[in-house]
Amino acid sequence: MQTYILKRILGMAVVMLIVATISFVIVRVVPGDPAAIMLGPDASPADIADLRARLGLERPLPAQYAIFMGDLLTGDLGRSIFLDRPVVQALAERAEPTICLTVMATLVALLIGIPAGIVSAVRRGSAVDQATLGLAMLGASIPSFWLGLLFIQFFAVRLGWFPVAGYGDPGAGFLERLRHLVLPALVLGLLSSALITRFTRASMLDVLGDDYVRTGRAKGLDEWTVIMKHAFRNALIPVLTVIGLTVAVLLGGAIVTETVFGLPGVGNLVVQAVLRRDYPVIQGTLIVVAAVYVLVNLTIDLLYTVVDPRVRY
Amino acid sequence: MNALVRLSLAGLLMAGTAAGAAAADMKRGGSVNVATIGEPPTLDPSASTADVVGMIAQHYFETLYTFGRDWKVVPLLAAEAPRISADGKEYVIPLRSGVKFHDGSVMTAADAVASLQRWLQNAVRGKQAAPFVAEVAASDPQTVRIALKEPYAPLLGLLALPTSAAVIMPAAKATPQITDIVGTGPYRFKERQPDRYILLTRFEDYTARSGEPDFFGGRRTPYLDEVRFVPAPNANTRVEGALGGQYHYADSLPVEAFPSLSGQAKVEPVVLERFGWPVMYFNTKEGALTNQGVRQAVLASLNFSDMLEAAFGDRKFFEPDGALYPKGFVWHATAGTEAYDKGDAGKAKAMAKAAGYDGRPIRILTSMQYEFHHKMAVVAAEYMKQAGFTVDLQVSDWATLTQRRGEPGLWEIYFTHSPFLPEPALNSFLSNSAPGWWATPEKDRLVGAFNATGDTAKRAEIWAEIQKLAYEQVPIAKVGNFSSLGARSKNLTGFQPSPWPFFWDVALQN
Repeated sequence: MQTYILKRILGMAVVMLIVATISFVIVRVVPGDPAAIMLGPDASPADIADLRARLGLERPLPAQYAIFMGDLLTGDLGRSIFLDRPVVQALAERAEPTICLTVMATLVALLIGIPAGIVSAVRRGSAVDQATLGLAMLGASIPSFWLGLLFIQFFAVRLGWFPVAGYGDPGAGFLERLRHLVLPALVLGLLSSALITRFTRASMLDVLGDDYVRTGRAKGLDEWTVIMKHAFRNALIPVLTVIGLTVAVLLGGAIVTETVFGLPGVGNLVVQAVLRRDYPVIQGTLIVVAAVYVLVNLTIDLLYTVVDPRVRY
Repeated sequence: MNALVRLSLAGLLMAGTAAGAAAADMKRGGSVNVATIGEPPTLDPSASTADVVGMIAQHYFETLYTFGRDWKVVPLLAAEAPRISADGKEYVIPLRSGVKFHDGSVMTAADAVASLQRWLQNAVRGKQAAPFVAEVAASDPQTVRIALKEPYAPLLGLLALPTSAAVIMPAAKATPQITDIVGTGPYRFKERQPDRYILLTRFEDYTARSGEPDFFGGRRTPYLDEVRFVPAPNANTRVEGALGGQYHYADSLPVEAFPSLSGQAKVEPVVLERFGWPVMYFNTKEGALTNQGVRQAVLASLNFSDMLEAAFGDRKFFEPDGALYPKGFVWHATAGTEAYDKGDAGKAKAMAKAAGYDGRPIRILTSMQYEFHHKMAVVAAEYMKQAGFTVDLQVSDWATLTQRRGEPGLWEIYFTHSPFLPEPALNSFLSNSAPGWWATPEKDRLVGAFNATGDTAKRAEIWAEIQKLAYEQVPIAKVGNFSSLGARSKNLTGFQPSPWPFFWDVALQN
């Protein structure tokens, strides 16, 4: 196990190196200039060139790359051109809404997706199954921005139950900030639950026909024990994979939802950074998001051994 | 009724109302949330020409001059209008005394000189003025003297603009990169949480001018405890936030939101008529449009009314108008506008043929980030195709466009827009180095004459000649006038629509 973890961490370092290099190249290949955006529409080419030089963007690319990698090795992701602060600080400021949103949305997705998937599998072919599959299909097809705007219209504007957007006024307490996350979490959770429902159902169907399930019933175990203790536990590995991927995606920033709800999370940060060509922020965010992906996947792989003792590394 | 007259009347009415209300209704206190189109790229108003920067920063930094009703330049930190020498080469600016900075220090001529020098060396618009300036010095502790190498009439307008602004700060703080925001404005900067809010609080020791409020000028009263600028880049979020009561003012809304904002109990639409003008820049340096005859043919092919209709839909929000400044501005002229809005494919085709157009693709750059640019570009491309032009419509994000337009080999036409700048000399198409690169002896002569004289009537005559030349040489094509839409809470009193909305002289009713 320790060797496995060590190997994965070494692999992670290689992935990070590749991601860092690709992100460095991509942001510079894509047209667009942070200096022109910063100076505004009436800046002259000479002003733009001056600012580019001041920002170090006129240096040869290999020199910029060497500086970037050197800083990266010391844990320095650079300094945001627009936010005038280190990228690490900018990301740390965005971490709270993104992490809280991920937790809340995942809870919503699990609370809906897993029971729905189990019931759908157990009642295969019934009206409940058909309805669940239909809703799951709908959930997978609805664009998050549309559902977000619909929720805003109904729950925030018409009913006034939740704020429309943002992450609270200055001085807002933690609970007030969480209140701003309820609607986006519902949107993300509902949409993510569609995938979890379908995976849970498919995985449960695979195991419900297995011998040990039949044996359990033959032994006279009650249906709850058969389904939850024997069938569901064995069906959990593929579901765990999907949950892991969902969490990783949400931690990387629910870009559309954060934009619609005006949340200052990682997704919003990266969108704005791309629009403004804030190179250090784009690079830093990509690296951190990639690291989160790899770590979440490693955690899920390790969880397999807890869920299924037959799994050995 | 023209926009400025309307604006003035509205302003006068509001000023009258506000003056009356000030005694009775305008209460101190409360916080307002202002939804902006996004996070400003900087908090330093001299460092950017972006409107969102000027809109926010005008609350904490002030300039020597600003704009009163009818866009007249009026003193703000200056005590009065400058004394300009007969040859137009010396400006003597007396400063108000006892004006406090946010750090408690009192403004002197040394602060103003250091700030103006910083602006001349670093700001986009300051650098425009710098070649004309020989010296900025303090004549005495309360007087600034600007000596010019040659007369430069746009100087006063430049000193008044809130974008790329000549803001005044303590001399010790006037470094190229400001690290500490210390101004004289009615609100002081307190906190910035990027993509969440910029928080300003009332400056209790604000030194207001005496007299009555006068649009951006006159007496400024900070009634509110706090002004929070909340970036909300998604336009629908701004609309819903205004409808839901979360934003007291929402800026730059899509015109389609007008019906849903009308007839509401707590919110109402704010239309700023004739906010600005969409414009097509033509590349006069490289490619198919270096040929003036071809540019004239393109102009003849375009139906600007249809372009505006596609972009804004409702007549409330646009007006076909070929004059570079609409009626009501002293700069309004009709010279040359007979070439506007022809949409004549047959004539355009003949003109293009006579000019020797060889079918080379005409690349049009536009951005989806400004949806109305894109809609206008699509219609323009169709009209041009009807006239026989080969058109390559290239849609990108704004950042890409702003970079590509700087490369003369990459485009023939690009779309942008601008507010009606109170000082015409600030329009970027007049600069030889602005993308489009309109540089002809006739233009240089007229712009030189325009900048050299301070006589407004004479300048207006020259401006008409510049407009006529613009229709003849076609470095740009004005699409028309458009209005902007915002939304304000009915709880907000004293608010005046303007290109850079401000929140002094504004109060909450409850």
